[in-house]
Parts: sequence; structure tokens; C-alpha cells
Amino acid sequence: MTIRHPQIDQFNRRRFLGTMAAGAGTVAADMTVLNVLKNPAFAEELKRQQKSVILLWLAGGASQFETWDPKPGRPTGGPFGKIATNQSGVEISELLPKMAQQMETTALIRSLNTKIADHGGGFSLMGTGRRPEAGIEFPDLGAIIARELGRKESKVPDYVSIYSSTEGRRNGTSGFLGGRYAPMFLTQDVIPPNLSRLEQVSDLDHVQRAELRQLLTDRFQSKRQSLVVSSQTSAYERVRGLMSSERLFDVEEESSSMRAFYGPTQFQQQCLIARRLVEAGVPFVKVARAWWDSHGQNFETHRELCADLDQGMSALLTDLEQRGLLENTLVITLGEFGRTPGINPSLGRDHFASAWSCSLSGCGIKGGTVYGKTDPDGNTVADGEVGAGHLFATIFSALGIDWQKEYHQGSRPIPITDFGCEPIKDVLA
Amino acid sequence: MMPSNFVRFRFGLLLMAFTLCAIDGAVAEDDLLPAETSIPEAIDHYIDATLMKEKITPSPQIDDAAFLRRVTLDLAGRVPTLHEQNAYLDSTESDKKQKLIGQLLASPDFAFHQRNRLDELLLAEIKKDNNWREYLLKSVQADKPWDQMFREIMLADGSDEETAAAQEFLASRIRDVNKMTNDTSKLFFGVSVNCAQCHDHPLVWEWKQDHYFGFASFFNRTYLTKSKRLAEKFDGDMQFRTTEGEEKTAEFMFLTGVKVDEPKVEVTDDLKKERNEQIKKAQNDENAPIPEPGFSPREEFVRLALADENQSFFAQSIVNRMWASLFGSGIIDPPDQNHSGNEPSHPQLLKWLEQDLIAHNYDLKRLIGGIVASQAYARSSEWNGEGERPQKWFFAMSEVRPLTPRQYSLSLLISTTSPESLPESNEDEKWADFRQRYENSAEGMADQLERPSEHFQVSVDEALLFSNNSRVENDYLRDSGDKLVGHLKKQEQPEQQILLAVKSTLGREPDEGETAGFLEYLNERQDRPVDGLKQIVWALITSPEMRFNY
Amino acid sequence: MMTNIDPSTLKKQKDYGTPGVNFCMARRPESATLFVGNSDFKVHQFDASAEKPELKPIAEDGHNSYVTGAALVGPTLVTGAYDKQLIWWSTVNNSVVRKVSAHELWIRNVIASPDGSYVVSVADDMQAHLWSVSDGKKIRTLSGHDEQTPHGYPSMLYAVTISADGKFIATGDKVGRVIVWEADTGKQVGEVETPVMYTWDPKARRHSIGGIRSLAFSADGKQIAVGGIGKIGNIDHLGGPHRIEVFDWQTKERKHEIENDNFKGLVEQLQFSPDGTWLAAAGGDHGGFVSFYNMEDGKEIKTEKAPMHVHEMSFSEDYRTLYTVGHGKIVVWELQGELEPLVAPRT
Repeated sequence: MTIRHPQIDQFNRRRFLGTMAAGAGTVAADMTVLNVLKNPAFAEELKRQQKSVILLWLAGGASQFETWDPKPGRPTGGPFGKIATNQSGVEISELLPKMAQQMETTALIRSLNTKIADHGGGFSLMGTGRRPEAGIEFPDLGAIIARELGRKESKVPDYVSIYSSTEGRRNGTSGFLGGRYAPMFLTQDVIPPNLSRLEQVSDLDHVQRAELRQLLTDRFQSKRQSLVVSSQTSAYERVRGLMSSERLFDVEEESSSMRAFYGPTQFQQQCLIARRLVEAGVPFVKVARAWWDSHGQNFETHRELCADLDQGMSALLTDLEQRGLLENTLVITLGEFGRTPGINPSLGRDHFASAWSCSLSGCGIKGGTVYGKTDPDGNTVADGEVGAGHLFATIFSALGIDWQKEYHQGSRPIPITDFGCEPIKDVLA
Repeated sequence: MMPSNFVRFRFGLLLMAFTLCAIDGAVAEDDLLPAETSIPEAIDHYIDATLMKEKITPSPQIDDAAFLRRVTLDLAGRVPTLHEQNAYLDSTESDKKQKLIGQLLASPDFAFHQRNRLDELLLAEIKKDNNWREYLLKSVQADKPWDQMFREIMLADGSDEETAAAQEFLASRIRDVNKMTNDTSKLFFGVSVNCAQCHDHPLVWEWKQDHYFGFASFFNRTYLTKSKRLAEKFDGDMQFRTTEGEEKTAEFMFLTGVKVDEPKVEVTDDLKKERNEQIKKAQNDENAPIPEPGFSPREEFVRLALADENQSFFAQSIVNRMWASLFGSGIIDPPDQNHSGNEPSHPQLLKWLEQDLIAHNYDLKRLIGGIVASQAYARSSEWNGEGERPQKWFFAMSEVRPLTPRQYSLSLLISTTSPESLPESNEDEKWADFRQRYENSAEGMADQLERPSEHFQVSVDEALLFSNNSRVENDYLRDSGDKLVGHLKKQEQPEQQILLAVKSTLGREPDEGETAGFLEYLNERQDRPVDGLKQIVWALITSPEMRFNY
Repeated sequence: MMTNIDPSTLKKQKDYGTPGVNFCMARRPESATLFVGNSDFKVHQFDASAEKPELKPIAEDGHNSYVTGAALVGPTLVTGAYDKQLIWWSTVNNSVVRKVSAHELWIRNVIASPDGSYVVSVADDMQAHLWSVSDGKKIRTLSGHDEQTPHGYPSMLYAVTISADGKFIATGDKVGRVIVWEADTGKQVGEVETPVMYTWDPKARRHSIGGIRSLAFSADGKQIAVGGIGKIGNIDHLGGPHRIEVFDWQTKERKHEIENDNFKGLVEQLQFSPDGTWLAAAGGDHGGFVSFYNMEDGKEIKTEKAPMHVHEMSFSEDYRTLYTVGHGKIVVWELQGELEPLVAPRT
């Protein structure tokens, strides 16, 4: 006579609550292929509700003089001129001619003064929206957005970070929000590896062994509160859902004309992938374009990189608009800092965080506006000085997230916006 | 480290001043326990004193099986084999714990694991260098004192074959004097000198720049010759601009503020030219002789760092690092934030351990052995008490620590090897070879995993890797005679299969509920029993019990 | 004619600080009067023989961006700039004679033909145009450089030179391609490649740096020297050796491959000695250099560190004086040696 241990029932109950029983002949719908984009009803529903962010991360620090805040004719202005845009009164660098034709959904902030001018510090500051503090791990923008805009039962990742070059490459962090909101970090290939089930493991076994794992985990975690253990649990919980999203990352799923529309460069194709991801409901996609750190030959470098950005960004905005996605997608250009007004003997510009720019396009943004001014030479902010915290408050507002919301670590409240910072109303619709 | 409220945090952040003298002077000498006290006694004395004061009841001591696993992971870098488990659990000797510790320290495993620990601290983030790793291994095997290793790492010039690879620490960072400076100060002294650059405390800005550039000056003349040797130039000072716009020349200054004066020697222009030519040649010609200036800033730096009146910094930092490695967080936490806004949680303990280390010739093995013999080390990571869990700096309970990629991959490999294919004991003469071979085999998987950093989180990439990558199937779940699955298959009773599976991987016996559940699982796969066994092993090796040191 | 100035006697004589960056100059023959194009958008006159020489704009009117090329023919000065314009000036009246919208993109250099009948301008629209000095009309266009680099980014056309006999024009671009053209017909008659001068980093920083920055024909027109920078690891900086390749351009045989890692940076200008025994090179990164190389064996004769990144240089007719202009400075150097009178070099 076998004695049924009380724990057996609990063990089995969990299993049966799972997808299927091992002995049953039926196998539930194969969840390994989910082509959201081909299901019009689902896509329609998503469009209505899902908001997303695409962060075009200008890694290394792009020059505001050669992008959003040109100063031609000044000793600090460099050789390039400025051009009028399709928004009256707004002029940008002549290196961004395509963007100049479609500024109606974009707002510029020219008055960032963030003080931190080293790559690591700038990455952390502009990534999390605040300075680091001993004892607290702040989540970065991607993790916060993943948490606020992500769907619990989502089959797609919440936070994707694409960084293909090696320079300045750092992963994002979900900090105290835990592994659940950690980024899917794609470095080598844009299609995440290990998304397809091995042939030698049946779908049934794939699911059920994971349930076994979960049981062991429950036993372990019941008396141990640990962020790092939770991160492992979250990671395994998401495997099935992620496996079904593999096709999203494959740019070859798009027509060649669409691919040509974006352009041939790696960055431009990754902008296309970003559109695919947000179209399928991924709340946060970061596409890094490294490496803007033009200590030497600033003008030559920006000639190349601005051409890349101009084409990629304008194609992305146009495509999002045509698909009805732009009103729910916020596209940001941002880097660690800007570049010096002073031009060094290698015709370069060095790091500069005292007066620089970023852009916001799409969801919740009043297009065609410019907030803030720098002095004629671009050495200081003349009007409307803002920091990382204000930018974050603005981003949250644009997306309909309560910028005054607080998370908690133990009993300590941690507002998602840094202290004393409010949204920049002028750029909000 | 003793933040009591939010304001303190902010204030501490604003006041990140380098009151370096204060660190040393904070603990009065006569407060400390006598030097003859054993390390574990000293640790428990100070930790328990604070617990009593705060009225915190620590979690209980872990049982033998759990202790064996924890200490084997920490001293040998792997989980214990079945045989080791049986030997330890069956032993009735009253001092078996101390014997176990001694045996692990004496085994070849210790050197491998300690080598990995030091490599992960000093270079692995930047590159994998086999010569450097070999240097570390030989040094640990020879019980080389830590101060001697430091000296070799800072001063190796390639002329001595034994220590040539030690130069890799600096050579890998040679392109950037800031990196050499920051990493040296962070990793050997627990101080992020870097902060001094960004920080904007108006009153002491000037002074902090002096510190930063003063320290960097020791590295400023270092260059790599064409023949790939570290060398130093005859001259070259760092210039910097103060916030007032004043151009200053940095003076050699150690972190405590003590300066070094370079002896002034008159040098004719011609001699200067000749010297520069020599340096240029060395930089461009593999066969050119390497000039050796009379004054070596790095030698001065090492001399200062290890001088009696300054070595506290150095000793304290390695104590704290070893502590952090074994406990999950340091007495100063984070371990690279040693400044007055970030006090040690147990200043007297830290001071005592530091002095003990110095008095015993920087013997890290002895320090580690002492730490793991304490009660503080052997506490449970389960919190069964009332109310909120105590903050980690009380060391009232053990922290769950992710295994390093090497620990995890090696443990996976060993635990999924058939027990019959493993040597019986780590005292067996075959063990060293075995360990080397297995470490090599495990390297491929280790490279796929992320190294734990502060606030490490397991990524979904890892979960996908283990869920879908063929390597996992091949390396760990293979049905062959030399592998665990093959061994399990040969057992007659499923109960035995389950017992062996759980013991081999998790180092403990399954409880009744687990056994029943696993049995049910196998039962449903009677037509394909090997699949059932593979999946059970899969669930075990991907479970948090395997993934973490708890 | 033999020049027996000794390049190893090169020595800095005078050092003048100026505002901004001096990108180009044209020297009035037999004088120390320089016309200098500056980052302040102006064209200045600089009298190096004055007691306190300083930049003086020749007119308030002028360009709308960095002046990058200047060519002097008699009293007529033709300058080119990032504003895509060429301006004809009278250096007698100090006035603008005409402005021509010369290119679609930024002009990188302007030089005059040996006979003074035309100037050539090169720009990032990858075209070289020949213009009549007398009436400003476009004579011919040399079109052949690719608009895009092989990696899909917009390219640049930095360098141009004309052989002493006026027969051949050579242009050099970002990706290391030199095209030699027949000046009279515009036909492509030769090509050499210096791909090392173009560094594309696909892995770390994913953009390019470098390019051919200077060209010079030997006096007999048979050889061409190409100047740029060697391979760079960290392309955030001009962190590579200065690099020169010398070819017999008709046979494409490379005679010399020169790299100098002690003086890193771009070679911004090259000039052969009239007898072809040495080649002068000037340029820089954060610092600068003037170098002389022996054209028999390709070895360095002499390099002097310049106190600035040098953008252009001009030898006096007797080669005893060398004028250099660059980042924030104009520096005059002297050379020793006895000389026969020489044919006046082009400036």
C-alpha cells in the first residue's frame, strides 16, 4: 500500500494545472509559432491599446551642433550649416535633411545640462534618469516602461536592447524591479539564439520538465527572498513565450521593398526590426547606434553617422505613421551627453554635458516644438535648463504613465521620477 | 554601510570626501581582540556582539550536507561528489568540519578555484589570458603571499620568466592611463578614485583632483615596448586643469595623501634627446634594448602602498574582497566604495582581520580557512524568524549567491558525470589532472554565461540556452556509460534513480514529496524511461538549488 | 637643377598664434605675403615679414563657412569653402570679383594650374571642376569617384594636384582611390589605390576615418605621392602613423611605402623637391609635424615637431623658407643650404 504523501498531491496538482497531462494524446496548440503580425484582429487590438517606446541610443555622445542645435557662423559652430524644416521657425543641421522634411511629429529639447561627461556615468544617468545611490539599484527606462506598459501574459519580450557594436556596449538594468524586466540583450545576432526547441525534446516534455523545475524552485524560494533567485525564476517562466516570438526578429520576413525603404545599413535594418517588435506589442525597444565619440575628425564622423540616423529615423517615423502606430509609439534620440563647443586640433569635439539636445517623436508629443535654448556659442543653457529627471518625467507623461508614481523597496518609496523634476509641458501634446 | 535613513544616503553621497586618514584612525587599537585569537572566534565575537545589540536572532547553522556543499563550492569551486558526500555525512569525528576545511584547502582544487577568483577580480572582465591564469595558478599553488603577488603584478617587466605574465594586469590596460589608475585603486585598494573626477563638492574639488592625478602619475610613464614588455619612461608628468582654469602639474601622491619627490637630476638636452630616442626605439623595434630609468614611479608606488604606515589600505581591501566573495557582500559594501560616506558595518572586525592578515604575511589561504570555520559563515539562508529579514550587513543569515560561470559549469559537468567515472577522493593523486581536464571541458559553457556583478540577474538568455541549446543535452544529459543518465539507467529501482539523481546534483536527499513526484513523472514515461531520467536531471541542474550557493 | 638645401637643417624660426583654424594658404610669389583661408569664414592677408604679422581679412564680404582652398594667379585669388562656393577676389582692390555656386556639397580644396589659366576645385559631391581664372566659367568636370564608400556611407573627395607640365590632374578620395586625368580632355588615364589610408571599423565603432588628404606629382610628372594616415585601431582619434605611398603612376608600381608612428596623424600636404630627391610632408593630429623623406630609399631625413596641426605649407622660391599654416598658428621655418636659382614653385 502506497501512502500518498500530502506533498504529492500538491506536486501533481500544479502539474495538471499546467498545459497538459503526459498520458493524454492531445497536444495543445503548438505555441512555438506565433505570428502576431499575420493575425489582423489581434494586431488591431494591440494597436488600440499598446503603447511603446523606441529609444534610438546615440552611443558615444552625438554632437548637438551637428544634429539638433546647429550654430553656423559661430566660432564653435563648425563648417556645416543649418536648414529650415517643415515646421516654421525650427532649424536643424544640414546633415539631417530627411528629418527636416518631417518634423511635424518631433519635439526637440536643446537645454539638457546633465553635468556628467564620462561614458559610464552618462550611460547610467541617462539610462536611469537619476544619479546612482549607494544601496539602491535603480531600474532603467526600459525596465520601467516594461513594467508599466508590459502585459502580464505577454508572449513577446517586454524590453529588447539591440547593441551590435562592441564600443561602449553595456547592458541595461532592471535594478530592484528584478529579472522579470531585465532586457533581452542582443549583441551578436539580432535574432536571439536558442529560441527553437531541439528536435530531441518533445513539446510535451519541454513544458513538463519546466514544470518540474518550477516545483523545485517553489520549494527553494518559499523561505528565501532573493532578487537574484527571482530573476532566474522569471527568466525560465518567459522561455515559452519568447520562443514563440522568434520570427519577429527576422528582418527577412519583410518585403525587399520595405527593407530598401529603411536602407541597407545595420542600424537602418535594426530600426525596421524595432518597428516589427512594437507592432507586435513589445513595449520598449532600444536600438543603439555606436559610436559617436568623435574626439578626432568630428565633422567627418558626423557626416557618416548623421546620414545613417537621418535615413533610419525618417523611415521609421514614416513607417510607424503609415501603420497608425506613431500615435502610440514614442521615439527618442538620446546619448550619454553631447559634444564640446570647442573644436580640438584633430578637428574633433570632446565630451560635453552642460548644454546638449535630445528629441522626442510620436506618442503624446507636440510636434514641431523646441524647448530650451543654448547661448549663441552653445557653451551654456540660456533658457529652460533641464536634466535627466525632467526628460524622464516628460517621457512618462507622453506615454500616459503617472510620472509621480512610486515604487517601493521595503518600506522606502522610490518615485519613478527623480526628486524635484517635472515633465516639460511645452513638448507634450 | 550603516544607513539608517534616507537623508543619510543623500548626505553621504554629497560628502564623498576622501578623509582617508580618518579610515585608519576610526578604530582605537586597544578595542581589538588579542592577536592570538583565532579568526573564526574573532569573526563570531564581533558579528554576534552587533546581533545582540540589535536584538537580532541569527538564522541557525546549516546541516552537514548543506555545509559540505557550501564550503566545497567556496574552497574548491565545485559541488561535492557523491563519494565526498557519503564520506562526510558518515564521519563521526568531532572535528570533522575542521578536517574537511583543511582537506579542501590542501587539495589541488583550492588553487584552481582561488586562481579563478583572483582572475575574475583582476582581469577576466577584460580578457582571457592563459599565461596570466597560469601565473596566478602557480602563485596560489606556491602559497605566495598576497603582497608579493601585488608587487609582481605591479612591477613585472617580463625579464623573469616565472612572473612575466603578471604584467598582464597593467598591460591589458596600457592604452588608457585612467583605466590603469582606476582599476588599480578599485581592485587593490577598494577605492574608486574615479569618483574624484566627477564629483562636484565645491570645497574639496581642488584637493580631489590632486589625488586623482597624483595617483595616476604613478602610471603615467608606463608604456608597452614592441617586444610586449612593460617599461617606464624617463620623464613625463601629468598636467591637469583645475576648476579655476589653472594648469597644474600633478605630483606623485598615494591615496593617503603622502607624496613622493622625484630626485631632481640635471639632464642635458642631448641626454634627453638620446633617452627619447631609446624609448622610441623600444616602442618600435622588437629587438631594441629596454631603457631602465633610475627613478621608477611604479616602484615608488608599491613601496608606499606596502609601507607599514600605509599598508592598512591594501590589507583591508583584500580582506574585504575575500569576505565579500564568501558572504555575498563585504564588510564595506560595495567593496570598491571605501570612503567616509560608506562606513564598514563592523569596523573593529575589519581592523582585526586586516592586522591579522598583515601579521601572518598576507596568507590568503589562512584567512579564507578561518572565515569558513566561523559560525557566521555557516548560517542558513532561510529566514524563519518573525518580522522583516535583517539587513544583509548584519550577517545574521547567509545570502544566496549566484555561482560564477566556472563554478556552475564545472559543477554541472561533475555532477552529471557517472559517479563511477570520478576519482574517489580529492586526495587521490589523479585528482589534479582530473580537475584540470574538467575545468578545460567546462570552459566552453562558462563562456556562455554572464559573470555575476553587483545586482546580478539571471537573464532570459541563460534560460533559453538551457532550454534549447544542444550543448546542454550533449554535455549533461547524454545517455552514455560515463554520464549520470547512463548510470541512473542501470539502477533497478526508480527510487534509487531518484535518490542518486538528487544527491549527485543537489547534494542532499530528496524529501518524500519530491520522491513521490519524481516517481509519478517517471511512471508516466515508462515507454521511454531514458527521456524521463534526462528531464529529471534537467530540472535538477536548472533549479535554483544548483544555480546558487545558499 | 640641383637643390642642395639640406632638409635636415629644418628649424622653426617664427611662431604666430592666430584665432581659429587656418585651413589653406596661397603665397604671393617672391614674397612673404600669405592669403589664408580660416575657420572664421574669412580670407585673410598675412604679411609674414612684418614686425607683428597678423591675419587681416581682405574684405568683410566672403564665404559662409570654413575656407578650405586658396589659389593665387597673379592678382587673382580664388578661394573655396564649405559653403559650396568659389569666390574670385582681386588682391589689388581687396574685393570680391565674383561668387560661383560651384558644387553640390562642401569644397575641400582649390588649386591653380601651373600656367595659371584655370583652377581645380574638389568637393564631397565627388566632382572635380576646372574653372577659367579669367572669367569664372566652368571648363570641364572630372567625374569618376564613387559617391558612396563600399560600406554604404557618403564619401569625400579631399585632395587634388596638377603635374608641373600641366598635363595631368590627380584627385584622391576618402576610400583610398587616386584617379589621374588628362587635364586637356578630362579623360581618366591612370589610377592607384591606397586602401590602407581608409580605416573602416565594422566591429567596435562602425564608421570610417582617414582618407587620402594630399597628393603631389614629382617634377617630371612620373611619380605621384599620396598622403594620409595609416591603419587606426581606435577611430575616435587620429591614432595612426602618418602615411605616404609613392607610385610610378603609369606602371602602378609602388616605389615607397612610408609610415611614421612617432608623428601620428594625417599628411595634409606633400611636395617634392624640384630634383625629386626629397619629399616634404606636413600634417598632424592634436599636434603637428613637418617631415622630409629621401626619395631614393624612402627613409626619413628629418622630422620636426610642429606646434600645431599643419594644414598647408608653402616653400619660398629659394626653398630656404617654409611657411606653414594650421590649427591656431602660422609658423615660419628656415632651411640652410646653397642654391642655384630655381623655377618658382607653385604655391
